[in-house]
Amino acid sequence: MTIFTAEHRQLMQMLHPGRHQEYSDVLTSLGSFMEKELLPLSPKLDSGDEPIDRPRSALFAQGMSLIPFPAQYGGLGLPFSVYAMAVELLGTADASVALSVEIHNAVAEGVLRFGSEPQRERYLGPMITGRRLASFALTEPASGSDAGNMATTAEKRAGEYVVNGSKMFITNAGEANVYLVFAKTSKGPSCFLLEPPSAGLKFGAELKKLGMRGSKTREVIFSDCRIPEENLVGEEGKGADYAKAILHGARIVVAALNVGISQLAYDKALAYARQRHAFGRTISDFQLVREKIADTKTGINAGRLLYLYASRIKELGGDYSSEASQAKVFATEMSLKACDDAIQIHGGYGYTTEDIHRHWRDARLLTIGEGTSEVLRMLISRRELARAQ
Amino acid sequence: MKIAVCVKHAVDEAELKIGPGGSPLLAGAAGKMSTFDKNAVEEGLRLKAAHQGEVVVFMVGGTESKKTLKEALAMGADRGVLVTADTVAIDALRTATMLAAAMKRSGPFDVVICSEGASDTYTGQVPPMVGELLGIPYVGYARKIEIDGKAAKIERSLEDSVESVEAAVPFATSVVSEINDPRYPTLIQIMQASKKPVEELNGEEIAPAGSRRGVEVLSMSSQPTARKHVMIDGSPDEAAAKLLDALSKEGVLK
Repeated sequence: MTIFTAEHRQLMQMLHPGRHQEYSDVLTSLGSFMEKELLPLSPKLDSGDEPIDRPRSALFAQGMSLIPFPAQYGGLGLPFSVYAMAVELLGTADASVALSVEIHNAVAEGVLRFGSEPQRERYLGPMITGRRLASFALTEPASGSDAGNMATTAEKRAGEYVVNGSKMFITNAGEANVYLVFAKTSKGPSCFLLEPPSAGLKFGAELKKLGMRGSKTREVIFSDCRIPEENLVGEEGKGADYAKAILHGARIVVAALNVGISQLAYDKALAYARQRHAFGRTISDFQLVREKIADTKTGINAGRLLYLYASRIKELGGDYSSEASQAKVFATEMSLKACDDAIQIHGGYGYTTEDIHRHWRDARLLTIGEGTSEVLRMLISRRELARAQ
Repeated sequence: MKIAVCVKHAVDEAELKIGPGGSPLLAGAAGKMSTFDKNAVEEGLRLKAAHQGEVVVFMVGGTESKKTLKEALAMGADRGVLVTADTVAIDALRTATMLAAAMKRSGPFDVVICSEGASDTYTGQVPPMVGELLGIPYVGYARKIEIDGKAAKIERSLEDSVESVEAAVPFATSVVSEINDPRYPTLIQIMQASKKPVEELNGEEIAPAGSRRGVEVLSMSSQPTARKHVMIDGSPDEAAAKLLDALSKEGVLK
């Protein structure tokens, strides 16, 4: 299969008429690499027979994480929409690797936007080349999207912060060698860069998940964990604002990831519907199967346009928080329906064959992770009501 | 060592659609570097790494085919030569004539590497023609190339055997896909490829066609493939025996 298709190319042309060829070349090459080196490994990543390290490192070596970052830090300086589309392609090739890389890049964006110049020098280059793997430690056992209510504390003592508490459902935890940690100081939620190994930093056992099984998810536990003062990111008390800002960008990318998952489920369902016979004809001849094909294709295109729309606003420097959330809510919910319909089209094989229901299991995370649909609907409505005033 | 590699901007067979009459819909079809040409580029780069020198990529095509040349440059070739021509209207000999004329202008080359055939038309005629037109030995279907000074040892992958031959440098060759695993250019290499030099030559100017009338393709259609259906009846034991017998006759079971 071809991951970067003529449809993607056409959208790049519409978005970036002057430089679409260059961007399409980048995405064609990346898509070709993913088709041959990652897509065939995906079932093994899901079953645990292939560790994520090697394919993820190979992807970093190709330059996946360089795409949206400035040339002065070694990046390619390409538009965010090119990066978002690259994540869509990665979501098609393997959702777990896409999740791991997307979180990693979200941390890199946080360092770029809110870190000091010495922090950028120390962390950004190694992160975007993949020499350092990053993890985003925000969610806690008793607080998810409610970042202001975090229980993890950071007490300033003699030139360092002493962190106590724990973080839950942390992607890349245990593997990463830099963590963006959110903890409350006397001034409120704050943000730190933590490099393991560090006394007082421990990890829980790997969590068993419904999907996204290739990526590692663990609890991160801090017991008098010491972070040097210079590793405070930005200002004390502004951590919740930084987290929100980082997540707005990440939501665009998560939407793209889900469009990618949906595309693969759709391609498989379409191929199966065209070859499976019932009552003397292929099941693609039946009207109710055609309805599923039509609705899924429409949903994929709508999701793609929504994440590209939010990307374009971000590129142009506008407020994209509502559009990013819209893209995520729509694409993640669309993806569940698309993957569910792909199972339905496959009939009994859909329920029993890992290769088909894996896509639904992967997609299922993302109406929850990085902002639940419920919270994002609140955010969208709040933003739209404010805009109307 | 000066190494010339020939590439083709071929129809992307993965995206090719077949029309109602069975003819491929070539107008507007997406293109890409011919699959096996990546092996040719890779072999050129491998030889350069071993012997120093320069890899120059040659291609006959229109402006839409530049992305294939750029891909070869991204893989690591040093410079490109695009011979502009309407590829739909020319045959293999015309293509080879233009490639050889372009190589004579920027040569001489120690090694000329093509792939065994294009992934769309797969005539396999251009590589030996280029060798002949340049007046150098041609060794086709190479699966291994070792060069020591002015002599090359080449393993040829034939239908049922492997043939080892020696050739004097300079020589032309075509490579098979098993010769290597082509590298993927990194995104940085792709971005930098557009800064590498590409010379554009007019095919008609460097190799006038004159009055020669080439091979014309009158029609093209896909070959219908019929699957063999064998119905086996009888009791389960009888059917199993018949199935074993049928599979043995087909050579599936030995």
